[in-house]
Amino acid sequence: MTDTLPRPVEGGLDENRLREAYRVMRTIRMFEERVHDEFATGEIPGFVHLYAGEEASAAGVCAHLDQRDAIASTHRGHGHCIAKGVDVKAMMAEIYGRTTGSCHGKGGSMHIADLSKGMLGANGIVGGGPPLICGTALAAKLQQTGGVGVAFFGDGASNQGTTLEALNLAAVWNLPAIFVAENNGYAEATSSTWSVAADNIADRAAGFGMPGVIVDGFDFFAVYEAAGEAIARAREGGGPTLIEVKFTRYFGHFEGDQQSYRADEVANARANLDCLSRFRARVVETGQLRQSTLDQVDAEVTTLVDDAVTEAKAAPKPTRADLETDVYVSY
Amino acid sequence: MTVGVVANPASGRDIRRLVARASVFPTAEKANMVQRLLTAFGTLGVERAMVSTDLGGISANVLRAVDRSRDNQWPKVEFCTDDPLTGTVADTANAVRRMVTAGARVIVCLGGDGTARVAAAACGDVPLLALSTGTNNTFPQLREATVAGLAAALVATGQVDATTRATALEVTARGRTELALVDVCASTSRHVGARALWDPAGLTELFCTFAEPDAIGLSSVAGLLAPSPRTTPDGVAVRLAPPERARMVVNAPIAPGLVRPVGVDEIRPLHPGERVVLRLRDGVIAVDGERELELAGHEATVTLRADGPRCVDVAAVLAEAARRELLSTRKESQR
Repeated sequence: MTDTLPRPVEGGLDENRLREAYRVMRTIRMFEERVHDEFATGEIPGFVHLYAGEEASAAGVCAHLDQRDAIASTHRGHGHCIAKGVDVKAMMAEIYGRTTGSCHGKGGSMHIADLSKGMLGANGIVGGGPPLICGTALAAKLQQTGGVGVAFFGDGASNQGTTLEALNLAAVWNLPAIFVAENNGYAEATSSTWSVAADNIADRAAGFGMPGVIVDGFDFFAVYEAAGEAIARAREGGGPTLIEVKFTRYFGHFEGDQQSYRADEVANARANLDCLSRFRARVVETGQLRQSTLDQVDAEVTTLVDDAVTEAKAAPKPTRADLETDVYVSY
Repeated sequence: MTVGVVANPASGRDIRRLVARASVFPTAEKANMVQRLLTAFGTLGVERAMVSTDLGGISANVLRAVDRSRDNQWPKVEFCTDDPLTGTVADTANAVRRMVTAGARVIVCLGGDGTARVAAAACGDVPLLALSTGTNNTFPQLREATVAGLAAALVATGQVDATTRATALEVTARGRTELALVDVCASTSRHVGARALWDPAGLTELFCTFAEPDAIGLSSVAGLLAPSPRTTPDGVAVRLAPPERARMVVNAPIAPGLVRPVGVDEIRPLHPGERVVLRLRDGVIAVDGERELELAGHEATVTLRADGPRCVDVAAVLAEAARRELLSTRKESQR
């Protein structure tokens, strides 16, 4: 009976797009779990902040983006990079500090960027992304490309002046900008219920005259729908939107974080809310994707991440001769 | 003598802010409403108010006000702190159960249709007064909290007995049962996604406890074709179709800011106790405007129940109070 009826919302999510959304989420998960393991060996320099648990946000938002669009990220940036199409092997090499990395091994985890993919960079500055996105969104508006800018930022960054100024600027210039507040409950070790006045980050949108919505960050379909509406609105000249996605990060703030500030919420989230488990169960039981298709993706991603680590470890490190390349001013 | 107040910090935050310019109801205003209720309760002799707790800032705001209040008319305020907060609908249900157990005579609920249906499922026979702070507010009333507080107090203190029994729709699928106070709608959308239902494409069946022509939300589809007042036991069952193929098309305000053509093939009364098996198997069921149940090939049934929540009729309570001069004092003539 329903074959001839239109299906709202997920009309654009055909088999291919569902599979690719799953591939993005699975790639992020495996990438992060592998980095977690490899970091423990001491081979990876610098800090890493892992995105596991938050995959539905990057995948649900970036599924609507194309070459016209730019994103700005946070220091928890691996997921955003993968979802926007940055080369996974180059990312791993970057994390290992190798010359084959996205930034020739000079940036590391917190600064992975690929402007050719519209990925403006993971960002060591909390609240650094939103102002950058006002720039790309202004360019898209003036050049009439139909492009949008998306700034991912955390609950900690929601209290930064840069973020609030960017929200104001985007509203007064009516920019095609989407602000995605990834609220994982903690700014490092400080609970957002203690640090965010007004409690819901989305509530702040009203003060800037833009729509603010809250979605379940563990649910790919919830993020996909909300982001789709916000991005379509922005492309049509409707202006900015603030979307708050709520979820839990599976690992500590950074690798090595003892996490004495939180109790059993991760175990509960992994068992009952996990975005990948829920996505799998739902698309299989609705007949949208086959179990074997998903298993195939898992196998391909496993190989990809394995190869990325092997190749990264084998790749050369920058030498003294590389010191004066990739810099604004050479002395 | 106790009155309960449950306030949902999450009401009025969903995607309809984005797709339909729905209103935003700030946390501070919800907290102000609780305080206005407390003032009204105290005026009429309510001894204790049990107030829900939340991580959204409402209870924190009320707690500060209790600590600083110079209004010694307020009843003793106790917060429901025995259940851990989950940030889900369970918080509303848990708080209401605690209030019922503590002997609350009336429960005032601040939220939208979604909050009211959760409170209704948990309040048993205790009268419910649902105040609107949500999006699709067909069931809760858009009323000044001070006045609602007076009505709640008059009922709770036994001075006036003016409650009405609402009907409810019980929907069951895959072993899960949900209560709807206004409407149940089936949609070919496969996932609950962002929960709200704002796209009329793919709607197949609609069931309403009542249908008012001046309602907002999906029940307006029935309300504009075959109105069925709250006071009658019957509900309405509607078979929907894409507008281009349907026998009738209604331009209905299906959400704040959205007037959409909705195709209707058949509309008929739904009788209390009548159990309907939904035709749709491959889609979702929305309860009071929010997608809740993913069918994934399973059967769903809807039953209209006559034993919905007992509701405080604010207008009737205050009319009775006026008639009996319960809020008035006549003084002897000085002359």
